[in-house]
Amino acid sequence: MKTMPTVAQLQKIWLLSDTVLYREASNFVRKFVREQHCNPLPSSQINGLLSIAEAARYDDLHQFVVHQRDRNWPPSKQDIKTFYTELEKILSHMQHKRLKDDFHLLTDTDGKSVSEIRNEEKALMALLAREFIQHLVAENGLLLAEAEDKRKQDWQQSKVGGKRDGNKYTKQ
Amino acid sequence: MNDEMKIIREVSYQAEVCYNDAVKLGEHAVHAIKANHRSQLTNLENIAESTFKTSDVFDYIKRQTARQADWRKPYSEQKDADSNLPFGERLRNYLEQGLKLRLKTIYDHLKIDDVTDADKQERRRIHLLLIRQIIRHMVVNYEYNVSLGNSKRREQ
Repeated sequence: MKTMPTVAQLQKIWLLSDTVLYREASNFVRKFVREQHCNPLPSSQINGLLSIAEAARYDDLHQFVVHQRDRNWPPSKQDIKTFYTELEKILSHMQHKRLKDDFHLLTDTDGKSVSEIRNEEKALMALLAREFIQHLVAENGLLLAEAEDKRKQDWQQSKVGGKRDGNKYTKQ
Repeated sequence: MNDEMKIIREVSYQAEVCYNDAVKLGEHAVHAIKANHRSQLTNLENIAESTFKTSDVFDYIKRQTARQADWRKPYSEQKDADSNLPFGERLRNYLEQGLKLRLKTIYDHLKIDDVTDADKQERRRIHLLLIRQIIRHMVVNYEYNVSLGNSKRREQ
């Protein structure tokens, strides 16, 4: 049975999205690119992740992340593996610890069956993960565009440099 | 005066203080986006008006900055401290960081703490209300300058 979050839970998720998840998702992508020296995720990957986060249940999303993590990526795409490895850790930590201890999102569990608690946990995780991934996708896009601009700039500079060197050569 | 009226009054007052900044952002938008993609700013306005989260506005600006090269244009001719930043980055920085002092004034005047979730939600709502007003001012100024430019071209 599908569990619907309460209005109070939704409001709390919006608050967390603005005050915690937005910052953490941006930092996660920046750290991935700037400190781990990985490339931002290509648009095709990031759009796939966003579609699943927006449409699927949490189990499906988690399964997708694990599948991407465990795929046998070629050496040129090891950054993607690193990305999904880190993302899986974040989501698991969120589900098993932060949801209850930090975010205080789970309602009173008294009188609820284990499956009811689990359903509630997954419904909330779907919403939290969606928020986190939405922020992460926006930041990744920004870094991707930045990298593309830099690549174009470098290419133009090398073209100008090449022409200049060419002229020197003809003068000599 | 009830609490909601007080909030509206304080937000409107601070939006007035920010009016010149919104005008400058509107001018930067004209320089960067020109008249070709008016819907991008209308969409931004629609998102700001309809969302419950400030981060939805920032994410939209990030997505536009990533997708549209126009949003990555600086406006060095304006000669302001932040006009050498790309338009999208300048706008987002302003809405995210540049309003902190204005927001603090509102929170202090209305005695809204940062302790309980209810306080935090109210602070966030006020931030969003201020963002809406500034975006409205910016878009009006953008539309005005774009139409002014169009009518000048027609006269010539």
